[in-house]
Amino acid sequence: MRRQLAALLFAAALLTPAACGTTNQPSAPPPAGQPDKVNVGVIAILDVAPIYLGKQKGFFASRNIDLTLTTAQGGAVIVPGVQGGQFQFGFSNVISLLLAQSQNLPLKIVCNGNNSTGVDGQDFGSLMVKGDSPITSAKELEGKKVAINTLRNIAETVVRASVKKAGGDASKVQFVEMPFPNMAAALQSGQVDAAFPVEPFQTAIRDAGGKSIASSWVDAAPNLTVAAYFTSTQTMETRKDLVDRFTAAMKESLAYADSHPDEARQIITTYTQITAAQVAKLTLPKWPAEINRDSLQKLAELAMADGLLKAQPDLNALLPSA
Amino acid sequence: MSQPVRAGRVGQVPALLGAAGLVAVAVALELAPRLGLVPAEFMPPTSTILAELARQLQRPEFWVALRDTLVTWGIGLGIAVAAGTVAGVVIGTVPGLRAATSSTIEFLRPIPSVALIPLAVLLYGARIQSTLMLVIYASFWQMLVQVLHGVVDVDPVARDTARSYRLGLFARIRYLVWPTALPYVVTGVRLAATVALILTITGELIIGTPGLGKEIAVASESNAVPPMYALVLVTGLLGVGANLAFRAAERRVLAWHPAIRVEAAAAL
Repeated sequence: MRRQLAALLFAAALLTPAACGTTNQPSAPPPAGQPDKVNVGVIAILDVAPIYLGKQKGFFASRNIDLTLTTAQGGAVIVPGVQGGQFQFGFSNVISLLLAQSQNLPLKIVCNGNNSTGVDGQDFGSLMVKGDSPITSAKELEGKKVAINTLRNIAETVVRASVKKAGGDASKVQFVEMPFPNMAAALQSGQVDAAFPVEPFQTAIRDAGGKSIASSWVDAAPNLTVAAYFTSTQTMETRKDLVDRFTAAMKESLAYADSHPDEARQIITTYTQITAAQVAKLTLPKWPAEINRDSLQKLAELAMADGLLKAQPDLNALLPSA
Repeated sequence: MSQPVRAGRVGQVPALLGAAGLVAVAVALELAPRLGLVPAEFMPPTSTILAELARQLQRPEFWVALRDTLVTWGIGLGIAVAAGTVAGVVIGTVPGLRAATSSTIEFLRPIPSVALIPLAVLLYGARIQSTLMLVIYASFWQMLVQVLHGVVDVDPVARDTARSYRLGLFARIRYLVWPTALPYVVTGVRLAATVALILTITGELIIGTPGLGKEIAVASESNAVPPMYALVLVTGLLGVGANLAFRAAERRVLAWHPAIRVEAAAAL
């Protein structure tokens, strides 16, 4: 039976490469005169608007990169995709990358992804309670249930930072893992006392009467770098020229998106199902071209204090050399 | 008792009743949010969903996703049906093989295909192969078990007759085993098609391989509730369409079979 199964899978693998058109060789340069085919694993959220905008503006094509953007369901798929060669680059939040680095996964950040706005009360994610909740500060979350999208990841680290900043004991907060789309209903029904949604769910909950009690990205570190684009160390070493061109195109895309928010809003409606009317009301993240190194250092310290990271991560090995 | 499960009589009255049931559900789902029984932002009324469906049909991305889903479904079902049929006939006809494999089959068959998702992601990432692995694994067993049942269902008199006439292995399969097993094969295909569709959408939804399932996930992550329901509705229609198509094919392929002949006579 096992052999039949293996044969089946083999047949499946044989029949389908035409349908996906990727190879397992991240480091193979294209034939002379051909652009590099680059597949980037992203998540269909606001944060990646710059790369879509940069592709549309030709920032990648002008650097001889034929860019394909593949949306995936998060880091659990993107990280193995980058390691296995399906993606040459990927998008992930920085805590996942710090965790990967502490487990010695051969990954390297190549460019900034997106940052907190740095403005308290006006960020793209916040700690929220329902309209008639008696809770007014993060300190009061001691002993309460707080919904976050992934346990033991970036949301938990920054919500703990908010509780600590407000003078509370973060270890007394009870975290509940819950997808963003479920948070509004869970808050309304009282299933959880607070939640940490990002856009577009932050605005949806606010429209339904919810209140923000803390801007956790801001509480964690000033102008926090939330996510970044990364590659495998193999691609970094064997295709340095491609990585340099991708990084340059990405920086141009970030700067353009940051200075043209209306175009960024427009492009979001193309790769998500968010309508133009909805996207106009959302708070966009900031897209600086450079990684905020100090904020990553601060975030790593917070994660260490929470016990999420066991050892001090080697930021120099993870980040591009300045 | 050895008859495979067959379609009920398709008459006009049941069809009308079925349509009436569907309309009643649609009306109930229209009224529930309008009367405030469920919050409209999480469960929009039927009319909103249908209007959104009309809007989705105008998006090129929708048609690309529909095509991706049909391709994944088709390839997965095709491989599972071919492999399941061949494996079933071989295991069923070669003496001793059935006993040797039955415990392995009974061990592997109940493993839920979705439990293989982490493995699929590690092997293939967010590519179509990941979803195909789930689809093939789940529908292969449906097919194999049906074919195995069909192969052992050969009439002993016919088998002895074939032996008396010294039919060779190929002739036995062609004239004895295959006609006996065919009704089971057709039922197996129909069951496998439904299972394959479920796993196709599951894989797209959870792994994020291209298709309608992924569009549903994107709509959900965009807080776009009506588009999400509209896409869910499309997957449901696909399932109904597939079932109707396979039942029609079943009647045609097995027109000679006594069960179908009786059915046709009764329907007249």
